[in-house]
Amino acid sequence: MRFLEDMILKLGSVDRRYIFLLIGLAVLIPLLRPIDLPIRTTPTTEKVYKAIAEIPANSKVLMSFDYGPSTKPEIHPMTLGVMRQLLREDHQIYITCLWPDGLYMALDALEEINEEFELVEYEDYVLLGFRPGNEAIVKGLASDLRKVYTVDYRQTMLEDIPMMDGINNLKDFQFIFTGSAGYPGTFEWVQYGGDPTGVPLSSGTTSIQVNEVMPYVQSGQIKGVLAGMPGAAEYEKLIGTPGIAIQGMAAQSFAHLVIVLFIVLGNLAYFITERRERKY
Amino acid sequence: MFLKRYIPIGIVAFFGSLTLFGWFIDNESVEAFVNDDATQWYDIIASFAIFLGALNLLKLQFLKVVKRQSGWQYSVVAIASFFFAFTIGFFMKGAFFVGEEVYFTQGAAEQAILASGSSETVKAVEWGAHISTEGGLFKWMFDNIFTPLSATMFALLAFYVASASYRAFRARNFEATLLLLAGIIIMLGRVPVGSLITPWMVMYLLVFVGTIFMANYFKDRKIIFGSFVVGLLGVTAIGIGMDWNPTERAIFFLPSLQEWIYTVPNLAGARAIMIGIGLGIIVTSLRYIFGLEKSYIGDQ
Repeated sequence: MRFLEDMILKLGSVDRRYIFLLIGLAVLIPLLRPIDLPIRTTPTTEKVYKAIAEIPANSKVLMSFDYGPSTKPEIHPMTLGVMRQLLREDHQIYITCLWPDGLYMALDALEEINEEFELVEYEDYVLLGFRPGNEAIVKGLASDLRKVYTVDYRQTMLEDIPMMDGINNLKDFQFIFTGSAGYPGTFEWVQYGGDPTGVPLSSGTTSIQVNEVMPYVQSGQIKGVLAGMPGAAEYEKLIGTPGIAIQGMAAQSFAHLVIVLFIVLGNLAYFITERRERKY
Repeated sequence: MFLKRYIPIGIVAFFGSLTLFGWFIDNESVEAFVNDDATQWYDIIASFAIFLGALNLLKLQFLKVVKRQSGWQYSVVAIASFFFAFTIGFFMKGAFFVGEEVYFTQGAAEQAILASGSSETVKAVEWGAHISTEGGLFKWMFDNIFTPLSATMFALLAFYVASASYRAFRARNFEATLLLLAGIIIMLGRVPVGSLITPWMVMYLLVFVGTIFMANYFKDRKIIFGSFVVGLLGVTAIGIGMDWNPTERAIFFLPSLQEWIYTVPNLAGARAIMIGIGLGIIVTSLRYIFGLEKSYIGDQ
């Protein structure tokens, strides 16, 4: 018993470099040698899928890329999945960005999707690009889109883009989806976009944001939410196109297991130390 | 005094009231101001705020270098990176097309034409579009410098979270134990591996954790061991009695537990915080409108 306790104490005070190493391996090995783990869909993800499936065919959908490279592994698979589902139903996609790096994320997503769908710019999609102003941009779009955007990201005048005919504000869209990694993002779209106009809105967020977004989901102000990489993996499963999120779930699973293991070890060592200190 | 204090306070009070009452007044001009003009003003000010932020960043970094404060070398890198991005964003198009090929400079593009002997001409991209042109200098910087650095910084969080939770996540008291258990359930329940853990395992773990907690209060080993065995037997009896299936979504199925934590206690807390923030915003806004909050003009 004493030997076991000493072992736990040693493991409980292990140098943090070993923890870094184990986390690194827990992430790296499943990425290099993919392991299939069962993906279970959750109601919040199913709501997003259902809400998008219910949009009438050939609708106009606004997608906002409100994230950057740091959160790309979490949000990008969601936006790709949503774009796939939209394009399969021949919806037209209008892209805005509240984050400056969102423009590059959108370009990257379009490039990847283009290999599958052979998209035609200004027929299948318009990339409006980034505008500074955070929630004021969303409010501006709800009121008059053409005051916020006069040109698209290529500097083409909106009047010269046939796909923009009849698009004057958010009410001209049948659905809004935001891939959001923080401020500005989901909250601003709910408060200044979805709620005032009544246009259905869904969101994909980082895992850390989900806590704050959930009240809006339960009240129906957001039609479901894709919660972090697990949400993206569930969505990939629902649309039947496995991608990088499903591949990443094994890595995330093992990393979480390693963290939990160290938390348990740390606590065991803490209790043993406490008991021994009380004895002497 | 008048110019520095009363005029700014008057402007804030007037436009604050106008924007607030614009929601309740059925007047086209007021509505147009609130919905369009005010947001346009905000956009313009936000654009200028970017310049202000950039200048502030430069000032702070320059001061750090001049005063040779600790880590001043990093400030040199920050300043150099700033001017690099600034130059290629504002003064260089960085994308010159020769047919389908893109070159960073006009000279490189012209040399390529000379070398190939083709009759094509150099076409520069439009200002504005140059930052997003594939193969252009700005896009190259974003893809090859900014993206890897940004992703690396975020990825490092995984290592620090692991190390920090290992050191700080201790079941020191009841509240900390609750937080610890909820954290573990969320961490495992959110990932696919959580659905591989049966309700049996979860219950046995809970008995194990409960026994550890008991050990804090009871010194007699026989009582602790006895409680552990009774706990295990009790869980087994309940499980057999309730016909727990390892693959079904039962009450102690980890993803179900995780979902309950997310949608019940977490949601209640999140709502309370949101309502609190909302009330705080209302009060602060009213303080601005009534001229009680003057921190924006330098008052305490």
